[in-house]
Amino acid sequence: MTTDEAVTVSTGARELAEFDKTTSRWGRITMIVGLLLSIGAPLYLVFSGEVDVTAGQLWTAFAAVAGTFFIIWLVEPLTYFPILGPAAMYQAFMIGNIANKLLPAALIAQTNIGAKPGTKRAELAAVLAICGAAMVHLVSLAVFVGLLGTWLVSVIPTDIVTVTRSYILPSVLGAVLVQAIVSMKQPRATVVALLVAAIITFVVVPAMPSLALSSTAIAVIVTAVLAWFLRDKNDQSPAELATIE
Amino acid sequence: MNVTASGTSTDIMAVANSPVLWVAVAGIFVVIVVQSAIYMTAVRKVAPVADMSPEDMKVSFRSGAVSAIGPSLAVCLVAIALLALFGTPAVLARIGLIGSAAYDVSAASIAADSMGAKLGADTYTQNVFVVAFFAMSIGGVMWMLSALILTPLLERGDAKIRTVNPALMAVVPSAALIGAFASLGFQELTKSSYHIVAFAASAVAMGICLFVARTFGKSWLREWGLGISILVALTVTYLVTS
Repeated sequence: MTTDEAVTVSTGARELAEFDKTTSRWGRITMIVGLLLSIGAPLYLVFSGEVDVTAGQLWTAFAAVAGTFFIIWLVEPLTYFPILGPAAMYQAFMIGNIANKLLPAALIAQTNIGAKPGTKRAELAAVLAICGAAMVHLVSLAVFVGLLGTWLVSVIPTDIVTVTRSYILPSVLGAVLVQAIVSMKQPRATVVALLVAAIITFVVVPAMPSLALSSTAIAVIVTAVLAWFLRDKNDQSPAELATIE
Repeated sequence: MNVTASGTSTDIMAVANSPVLWVAVAGIFVVIVVQSAIYMTAVRKVAPVADMSPEDMKVSFRSGAVSAIGPSLAVCLVAIALLALFGTPAVLARIGLIGSAAYDVSAASIAADSMGAKLGADTYTQNVFVVAFFAMSIGGVMWMLSALILTPLLERGDAKIRTVNPALMAVVPSAALIGAFASLGFQELTKSSYHIVAFAASAVAMGICLFVARTFGKSWLREWGLGISILVALTVTYLVTS
């Protein structure tokens, strides 16, 4: 190898290392800022004196939500890391919409430039694609939700708004439940989950009302344990992770 | 003299439209733009070394942007449906950052239950809104904390992940998610017969969307399924209640 070639090789390594350093440092900084803004808003309302919310109420709500979603919070980063790579992790877990928006964007970009999976080229394509997707994400939210949505809600008759307010929860949960069941393709685990949830909601909680608050967390933990022990060990087909991000 | 204890008013929008929330939304949007700008500059610097031409960079960015249009519109439809409950800045903050509609609605419902209230009903006071907004936001925080902590660890110990039983990573979380949505959904059924109507209509509409998507290859229905199901469920419920 000539001196020139040796210099080129070592320069390449330096630039690659520089990229990793920049993205991990600034990825983390921007994510921490996003995190602070995200929790700052509700906490400001709590401390502003306009409302009367106690720390105890916040902790209780947090515990109930954590009991339900702690598995997802832990598993999704573990699942997506091999696909996204470190740089894109800081993008994806700030912006969200990973399965439906960011991941397809990354994959399409990689295909369009003919990048081989696992190469630096593929990683860079993914990062740029997510940047592009993020811009469309923000613009669409600002225009269609911020402007159009707000206007719509102000002109729609009050009784329709009332129906929306009162029944948006079941309207979302019905569809989301069906979607999760269909995308997971695990009949055994589905039956377990539905049975456990039904028994807890319709039998256990009416008999022991003190459990009402933790009923969803209990359903999640019992289902997780049962699904593990009752899993079909002979089923070799890859299960699709039903994610909510 | 009529003195209402602070926070017990049901005028949610007075609190939900606080300037602070709008400032937070602006901040969040700016942070995402700044992160993308820094990342794009970093890519531009390393591209020649990684065998990536300026054309490749343009195509990647554009492909990402264009492919995001459909999913973004679908998400916006669902977000609009949430405006009535949470107001614009809260919805923008939540949907803009990590935290899908499915998570937000679930977390808000759990938080309201913990306060002994029901979202959208007479018990939905300003206090309940703030706790619900907190619960939704804390989920986003936990995802981000998890990513912040795990990413450097995974960078160093990539091999260990592969030794974990794949069933543990796939079947168990999926079952847990279904359990969570089923539990929350079944709780809704106990509230009123109209809740049952909304839940059933939504489930059936999604089922039809997914079935048509699979049978006739209309993959866009998978994207729009949630928005369509919400519209169908709300329409059916409205017709039944009037």
